Amino acid sequence: MSYAYLFKYIIIGDTGVGKSCLLLQFTDKRFQPVHDLTIGVEFGARMITIDGKQIKLQIWDTAGQEAFRSITRSYYRGAAGALLVYDITRRETFNHLTTWLEDARQHSNSNMVIMLIGNKSDLESRREVKKEEGEAFAREHGLVFMETSAKTAANVEEAFINTAREIYEKIQEGVFDINNEANGIKIGPQHSPTNPSLPGTGGQGGSQGGGCC
Amino acid sequence: METSDSECFESADEEIYAENENKKSKKVAGSPPSKEIPCETEHISYLKTEETKNERTNILDSNLQVDEDKPTKIGLSNTNEPEVITDNNTSNIQEEDEVNMWDEDEDWEPVETKTEIKPSESPPLTINRIWGWDLSAMLNAATVGVTAVTTQVSQGLSNVLETGIGAPDPAELARRTTQEEHTHDAEITEPSTNSSTNLFGFGNLVSGVTQITKLVETTGNKVILGGLDTLETIGKKTMQVLQEGDPGLKKKRALLKIEGEKPVLSHILREAKEKAELENRLLEEQHFARKANYESLFDDHQGLVHLEALEMLSKQCSIKLERLIESQSGRELVELQETMNQIVELCELVDDDDELEDASEIKEKLDTAVSEMVINISYDKVLTTRKEAEQWLDNLHLGVCSELELHEQAIDTLAQLTALAVERYHKIGELLLIKEHRSTADEADSLVQVTTILTALIGNMATKFSNKLSEKLSDSTHKDHINTLITNVYFESANSTSYLKNAFQLLIPVLQVGAI
Repeated sequence: MSYAYLFKYIIIGDTGVGKSCLLLQFTDKRFQPVHDLTIGVEFGARMITIDGKQIKLQIWDTAGQEAFRSITRSYYRGAAGALLVYDITRRETFNHLTTWLEDARQHSNSNMVIMLIGNKSDLESRREVKKEEGEAFAREHGLVFMETSAKTAANVEEAFINTAREIYEKIQEGVFDINNEANGIKIGPQHSPTNPSLPGTGGQGGSQGGGCC
Repeated sequence: METSDSECFESADEEIYAENENKKSKKVAGSPPSKEIPCETEHISYLKTEETKNERTNILDSNLQVDEDKPTKIGLSNTNEPEVITDNNTSNIQEEDEVNMWDEDEDWEPVETKTEIKPSESPPLTINRIWGWDLSAMLNAATVGVTAVTTQVSQGLSNVLETGIGAPDPAELARRTTQEEHTHDAEITEPSTNSSTNLFGFGNLVSGVTQITKLVETTGNKVILGGLDTLETIGKKTMQVLQEGDPGLKKKRALLKIEGEKPVLSHILREAKEKAELENRLLEEQHFARKANYESLFDDHQGLVHLEALEMLSKQCSIKLERLIESQSGRELVELQETMNQIVELCELVDDDDELEDASEIKEKLDTAVSEMVINISYDKVLTTRKEAEQWLDNLHLGVCSELELHEQAIDTLAQLTALAVERYHKIGELLLIKEHRSTADEADSLVQVTTILTALIGNMATKFSNKLSEKLSDSTHKDHINTLITNVYFESANSTSYLKNAFQLLIPVLQVGAI
């Protein structure tokens, strides 16, 4: 599949908050109640359209286990977006956010768009973290916030797509140097002119990039 | 009302009179009158229909006052109008009158010129107007407006006869109009004794009516023609200016590339068509190429991203080792470097030509090899994919499957197996890094075995596909094409092997990190 841009995402957060389930819901539109523990990093990819442009999201779903922390840190480099996930039914996952955020900021580029996600919003009865708390944390740290449910798929699409939109806007603003792959953005291969939504995109993207720099 | 109007337009009258004189003199020069008269002036006088009505009357009046013969002249000039002539008798009579008039008048010269020019050209407007005026004046006097005239015309000739019968000679009438305005009505109704005059008058009246309608028509025409004339004049002048010092506008044409424009359009269209065709062809080729493109298939099976992640992992380990080496010195450094080199030596692959035939045998060998690493890793996915490909080949009907499809399947299988294998290398790396008790030598040995098995497995798969393609060779007309495909399968098989070897090489720093 041809695309105008490829954005690298990382999903980070404590183990069991539902990172892999969010990815599965986004890529396969299904929910798996029991998920194997992620080893190191797993991948998912999906094509989305922003501003008429095909964008491939390449999602690096990292292991939340403490043991893999040093490994997963090495994967942060070159991510354009990050989904920082906590579980609204487990306060400790919310409490660890600062550590995760520090890690992410330290090992990735400063322009990385970070989306804070309070997952498992379907489990309202077991809620331990108020929505307002999440909002406040996001506001304080300059993050985008959203409560999602990988089970019901509520806000899952939005979380991934809104992040992509932010990245896209940053490209338009010239914040991201798309020619530097360390920023987590790759320009797509030459597009086939048959796809009506694509013909100009590659060229346009290129020219915009040129303008940005 | 009339009188006051006449007074009001006295000054205007003078102008128009002067204008008429001007026209006359121009006509004497022998140029066509319609062309000679400036369009603008004509327009103005036509547009001012209502005003001019009165003006004309005055012109006539003044003329008549000066010279008694002028009205006759007017009558004459009108009779020469081809459209005006509705009756043969009338024209005959008119001719007679003409002759008489010629004899009678000395001061006739300008009109003479007019009569000479007129037939060849459109009727001079001045005359039309004058005649129109004459009639209007009469009709006005009879309290019949232009609207009435139009109505009359539309009502038919009978009506005209009814109202117009017994109308005196317009010339005479005109003269009388000035003399006794108030008794006009009576004069009109006064029966004419001269039948010929009566007929003439009638003819004139009819022609007058026609003239009015014609006046309206010509006004429209003149406006258009006048507009066109103006445009023509502008156009001529423009061309004149443009052509100054550039005859034939050659320079300007060259500048504007007017000459080259025509062939370029067809050229552009042809080029566009050719371009579109080429694009379509390229697209089709791309489509097929992509379908059997190893790299893109490898990417589709997530081989590339795992390789990328493995590279990152490897790099991280290398950085760690470099730091360690930098911090060491003397004997410790030498020992460390020795250990590092030993590990590299352990990882050297030996060419093993073991034939892998049985699926269970492969699985057994792999399991044994992997177990040495003491990590929870399985090659089930790789083995399943291999098995599926084998089944596909077994169920293949060569008659149905084209060589291209077969080739496509071969490349896809190789890419998928390689991607899965690379993914395994990546996983091994991650698992080894979190392993608590490392046994570098065993790990290296295990990885050598695994790599050997996997490369053999892929080579075996490529051979199977190639054999199938070779079977097609016997009953095919494009042997060259099939041979190319077979070569390609072997080429991509070698490519797969190098991917695996590369992945294995990337694991060396991971193994080294475990040794320190």
